[in-house]
Amino acid sequence: MTQSDRNGADRPIGRRGVLRTGGALAATGLGGLALSACTGTGTGTGGGTGRAGDPKKGEITVWSWQGPATELKALLPDFNRVYPDIRVTVQDIGNPAIWDKITTGLAAGGQGLADVLHIGVDYLPGYVERFPGGLADLGPLGATRHKDAFASGLWQTVCPDGKRVNALPWEANSAGFYYRADLFEKAGVDAEALQTWDETIEAGKRLKAKTGVHLLGIDKPASQPDAANFFQMLLQLQGAFYFDLEGRVTLDSPEAVRAMTLVKTMNDAGLVSDLAGGWNALMSSLKQGTNAVVPWPTWFGGIVEEQVPAEAGKWKVRLPPAVRRGGPTAATVNSTHLAVAGSSRHQAAAWCFVEFALTRPASQVRIYRGKGIAPALMKAYDDAVFHEPSAFFSGQKKGEIFLAALKAPSPAVNYTSDYARALKLITDAQSRVLLKGADPATVLREAAAELVRQTGRKAAR
Amino acid sequence: MNLATPLPAAARPRRRGRAAPYLFVLPALLLFSVFKLYPIGWSFVISLHRTVAGTETFVGSDNYRRLLDDPLLWTALRNTAIVLAVQVPLMLALATALAVALNSTLLRGRPVFRLGFFLPMVTGLVAYGIVFSVLLNKDYGLVNWLLGLVGVAPVPWLTDGLWARISLSLALTWHYTGYNAVILLARLQTVPAELYDAAAVDGAGALAAFRHVTLPGLRPALLLTTVLSTIGTLQLFDEPTVLTGGGPDNATLTIGVYLYRNAFTYADFGYASALAYALTLLIGLLGLVQFRLLGDKS
Repeated sequence: MTQSDRNGADRPIGRRGVLRTGGALAATGLGGLALSACTGTGTGTGGGTGRAGDPKKGEITVWSWQGPATELKALLPDFNRVYPDIRVTVQDIGNPAIWDKITTGLAAGGQGLADVLHIGVDYLPGYVERFPGGLADLGPLGATRHKDAFASGLWQTVCPDGKRVNALPWEANSAGFYYRADLFEKAGVDAEALQTWDETIEAGKRLKAKTGVHLLGIDKPASQPDAANFFQMLLQLQGAFYFDLEGRVTLDSPEAVRAMTLVKTMNDAGLVSDLAGGWNALMSSLKQGTNAVVPWPTWFGGIVEEQVPAEAGKWKVRLPPAVRRGGPTAATVNSTHLAVAGSSRHQAAAWCFVEFALTRPASQVRIYRGKGIAPALMKAYDDAVFHEPSAFFSGQKKGEIFLAALKAPSPAVNYTSDYARALKLITDAQSRVLLKGADPATVLREAAAELVRQTGRKAAR
Repeated sequence: MNLATPLPAAARPRRRGRAAPYLFVLPALLLFSVFKLYPIGWSFVISLHRTVAGTETFVGSDNYRRLLDDPLLWTALRNTAIVLAVQVPLMLALATALAVALNSTLLRGRPVFRLGFFLPMVTGLVAYGIVFSVLLNKDYGLVNWLLGLVGVAPVPWLTDGLWARISLSLALTWHYTGYNAVILLARLQTVPAELYDAAAVDGAGALAAFRHVTLPGLRPALLLTTVLSTIGTLQLFDEPTVLTGGGPDNATLTIGVYLYRNAFTYADFGYASALAYALTLLIGLLGLVQFRLLGDKS
């Protein structure tokens, strides 16, 4: 889902906890050196265990996926120079496999979980709410001292109640608009001048007529949950989401109807190519140049450079047009975090690794250089790498474009523990609109009613 | 000998000997109890609970009541029923024809054919699902490319509801026909050749011999393959997950996919367990009906 769908203490475990997953499964079967020493006190109460372990010693395992896992591995020599007695094993679990694995581990009372878990913003609230104590409270280990170090709104994501710190922010991705500048030029359209999505649709028609390429692509049959990424971005550009801050369902809000109507208008005008199959189809379309725009967040820039290196100089990037004239063009559309399992015997050592990776600018700069993963740590942006012109993106200072977005006001987003259900209903609704021409307001009203029924939440309208 | 007369002590089975069979089945029984029976029972307990703010709350039959009112479950049931009503009979008919052909002495190189038709069964479920999804891709797939060579417009194999169901059925047929054919073939080889000779003497042609000798002979194997295919279809998970993700617009959502999603995506283990019990009940009932209809009346 969104960001998470890509790239690539001796806790006494209750009989009930262990068997819970077993039962479900059985039934399913039937059917900077600035941190010269980690600031952990060794008395953390993560997971309610009261055991944090030795902050300088231990063997820990980290679960992440593809690109981020590679970058965490690359940090290990530096980490071990500071912490020679903490042995770290980084495992690439794969995405989306990692979510099922973490869910299963948490449902089993933490049995089999790694010490450090890389978690997307779309999953974090669900894990915290459904499995209290499943993730360690990083506050007593020293996390609170970094409260103001991250991009706006992210501390609220990891510490929603202002007390318990469930994770530390890693990536902060802003909505982006990567485009083929050469194609826009050929069509005689000034892409930088597009202020709204309505204007972009008109430009897309001209682009299609002159060059034959689609404006953008969407996984119309929703082969993957991230099929709704574009819709969700349009929603977030209006400061809206699937739930309001009280957790009430807002799938059928005027903002949602506006976003889905824009999607339908583009599709009806023949401007949307079908990326059925998800990630693989997206990569194929990128290589074949079938779409002029890729409206994906910060991290996608690294993917474009990696996939089509021969197109250096043909690409540009900007923040997306506003949904309504004069409206916001910046939104933090997703983030990922590192958490420590409540079941970990080495919570203090695990925290040392998390702190080393996420609060030290040198670590984040290295990761950015390696995979273009945008840090949530604002101090990292002092590094020259974020202010250099990019040869691939036609000499633009890509880092500064997204830094401006991160500094812009970004409303808090309440993913809730029912985000996965909401996303499923939204992708179904979008498929009906794109494949069957359904009315946006009708499908969204039905989706909202169904989400209310399934979750017992209140409707905002 | 008077039957009422007790047997001499030497002729009676010794008490120690009687325990032997129980000792032999004990390990299996223990493993079954710990890893199957107990979790199955516990799953029922879970089905009566719901996680509210991280606490397991007893909700009685609420999860079961939710089942009746869940449109996605009915969609999943309808999709499963379509596969069951269309794909399973076609596949078994094909498997029967294949078994008869593979049994024919007229066919040369029979072992090679038998191996060829059985091979899909040993292919990894996920691997073949991925291969099919690549083959059937509307824009980049081999199948549409080949169709394009003969002037056929691209078919939305995986992106249109009807075609997605057809694609799923094609994948299932490719995977399981050979397996069913082998079971039927094994049974076919037990049908006495004398029956065919007698039928020939009575003037029966090939069709009459098939109807009056082959089919009755195959009856137990047909019952077995029907029941196994029904259970397999009701538990269908891998293929729709890999091929279509249950889409588009839930056209290939099956009970298995929906159950898994509730458990591991939504972490709603209570409802997933209730789904599992409903599914088990359904499989039991359908199995019973099939035994009644196809089973040996005697």
